[in-house]
Parts: sequence; structure tokens; C-alpha cells
Amino acid sequence: MTIPDKKTSLGLLRQMMVIRDFEETADKLSLRGKVSGGMHNSSGQEAVAVGVLSALAPLDVIATTHRSHHHTLAKGFTSREIMAELFTRSTGISGGRGASMHLGDVTKGHFGGNGIVGAGVGIAMGAALGIQQKGDKKVSVGFIGDGGMNTGRTWEAVNMAVIWKLPLIVVVDNNQYAVETFVGRVTGGGDLAKRAEGFGMKAFNIDGMDVLEVRKYVSEARERALAGEGPSFINALTYRYYGHNVGEKGQYRTQEEIDTWKSTKDPIDHFTAVVIENGYADQAAIDEMRASVRAEIEDAVAFADASPEPDISTIYDDIDSGKLGVQL
Amino acid sequence: MEEIFVPALGMAMDNAVLLEWLKQPGDQVNVGDIVAVIETDKTTLDLPAETSGVLGKHMYAVNDEVPAGNTLCVVLAPGEAEA
Repeated sequence: MTIPDKKTSLGLLRQMMVIRDFEETADKLSLRGKVSGGMHNSSGQEAVAVGVLSALAPLDVIATTHRSHHHTLAKGFTSREIMAELFTRSTGISGGRGASMHLGDVTKGHFGGNGIVGAGVGIAMGAALGIQQKGDKKVSVGFIGDGGMNTGRTWEAVNMAVIWKLPLIVVVDNNQYAVETFVGRVTGGGDLAKRAEGFGMKAFNIDGMDVLEVRKYVSEARERALAGEGPSFINALTYRYYGHNVGEKGQYRTQEEIDTWKSTKDPIDHFTAVVIENGYADQAAIDEMRASVRAEIEDAVAFADASPEPDISTIYDDIDSGKLGVQL
Repeated sequence: MEEIFVPALGMAMDNAVLLEWLKQPGDQVNVGDIVAVIETDKTTLDLPAETSGVLGKHMYAVNDEVPAGNTLCVVLAPGEAEA
């Protein structure tokens, strides 16, 4: 795999570190009752988010899932505005009215997280249709989990994207467990890329723990979409290190399985080694990066804590298109 | 100092009931020892110590309703004193 230049590579690594530190910090705060409505921790899945978003242009569209902090951070939103949203404060990305599952800003191509399994692909397909109708040079990425692979709506959206050759990229952030159900137990045919291929699109099963591999496949999918060749499907195999939701006391995975993924496949450890091997950084530089990330997340928590709650007069803001002034 | 607290679990957990203290103030506790048992709206939950040390005072009594996020007690490392 060709490694990008030094600045880009260190940026990818730092972004993954930001996500990990953000999630582990937010997890603890959620257990303390600081995060309204609970949250879903994406630790372990950093390479999918950073690989995908680093291959997109700033105004490309994403629509995501209930587990969306990593996608949103990787899209370039700050840890301050996301942490503030988790705390439901007015300085949050959604004005403090959305909390963890409704991060989004359509003016910047983030069409939101949501609580409906598999909905991100349908929303992204609609955005892709808009892009095509307007003749924009953009693509739309629909994130979905493995649990969304067996909902009917997903494949209706995929089929329409194929027949209309929409600039849609479906990315399965496949952490292998739909809450507690193992993907291998509920996947007819056993191979998600083959299923997608049956709809007439390019489809790949890839290593979602390798940020460069994800980035490469998404870059190529983006080129095809911009060339009018239609949608692609990327099933990125990854692993979530924590429960489905914060505080979940799961008995459906063995500690050995979790430890094995962490010790042998960790996306940050893996890419740190790549960066060091390439001479882009030494251990001291890595430690310094980690410390700067820690400071950033501490600052985000302090910022969120000090921010006011939204004013009641804003309660109807941002719920209709007139107010949003949506510009695809 | 480790704070042992009532974790906020799920989407909308408010309070838990303290069912039982298994360690008393001044007791030596080790990593993994169950210090208290609470009951949430869904389940009963053992709260283990994640560090070793001496247990501080009980901040709630058995049968008290404790808001999620609140501290029940602390585990003091050698040389530490309660605030």
C-alpha cells in the first residue's frame, strides 16, 4: 500500500487518536450521567471513519448512523462542538437539540446521524439524486452498520442508485455485532459484497482496521462516481471495543475475542508502526501527538461544561427546509 | 482515589436503589472486589473496585435511591485521605 506524504499521514494518525480519546472520555462522562440520552462508543472503528472521510472532498455528503462521533470528527467538525452536543449545550453542532445520535450540519455536507437502523443509506441516496439532478461534482456516502444489511429499505435505496447511476458510496462500518447478534449468524449467503454485486454495482470486502486500505477503496469509488459510473459498495470489517451502548453489560463476546482484536488489529497501533517505519515520526513525536490530543479533548470537555443550555425559543429551529436553506 | 459511583446505563436511567454494602468503611479492598450492589430499573448490578486500597465512608445507606452518576464511596490509595 502506498503511504501518503508525511503531513497527510500524520494527519490521519492524529485524527484516529482524537476519535479514540474523545470516545473513551465521553464514555466515562456518559456513565456519570453527563451525556443526555446515552451514546454509542466507536472505539476500534477509527480507521473506517478516517479512511473514508480523508478520501472525500470537504462538501461531499455523508449520512450516518446511531454510532456517528467518529464519522463526524473525521469530517472535520471540532471535538468542542461535538462534545458540547453530547452535553446538549447551545454551542453543540446541532445547537444542543440533537445529542449524540443527531450530529449533523447540512450546510457542510453532514446529513446527520439518526436512530433508525439502516436509514443512512436511504438519506445518502436521496442526497446523491440531488447531486446528480443539479450536476454537482460531488459524491454522497451512506454509512450503515452490519445490522442494517438485513433491512429492506437498504436494498431499495441501493437498487435505485444502481439504475439511476447515482454518485453514492455505501460504506458498511461492519463491527460484526448488531447489538448482540453476530453478523455471521444472520447473513444469508455469508458475503455482503457478493450480495451487493447482485444489484449490479462494484462491491468489495476490505480491512476496516487499515486506514490506508479504506482510503484507497473510497478514493477509487469516488472517481467512478464522479465519472458517472454509479454507486459502489464497501464492506469494511472492523471491531468495536466497547458495548453497543455505553454501560452495556454484554455477555455475547468472549474477553479473549475482544483482547485479540485490540492486541493484534488495533488501527492506531498499526498505523503508528507504519508512520514510524516510514521515518515520518519517532516515538517522541508520537508521544507528543498523543499529549496534544489529550489536551484537545480536555479542552473540549471544559468548553462543553461551561456552555449554556439552548434557549427554549430555539426549539423549532432547523426542523424545516425553509429554515435550513438546504443547498446541495 | 477511585470513586465508586452509580453508572448511568441505557437511554434514560434516573435512579438506582442501593441494595447492599459488601465492604465497610476502613475495609481493605482489592481490584475486582464487589463493594456494593444496586438495583436499576432493569437489573441488579454489582459494583466492583477497579483499584486496591481502603474503603472510605458510605455516602448512602441501604435502600436509598441514588441518582445516576452520584458517588457511593471512594477507594483510598495508601497515603490518601477523604476530602
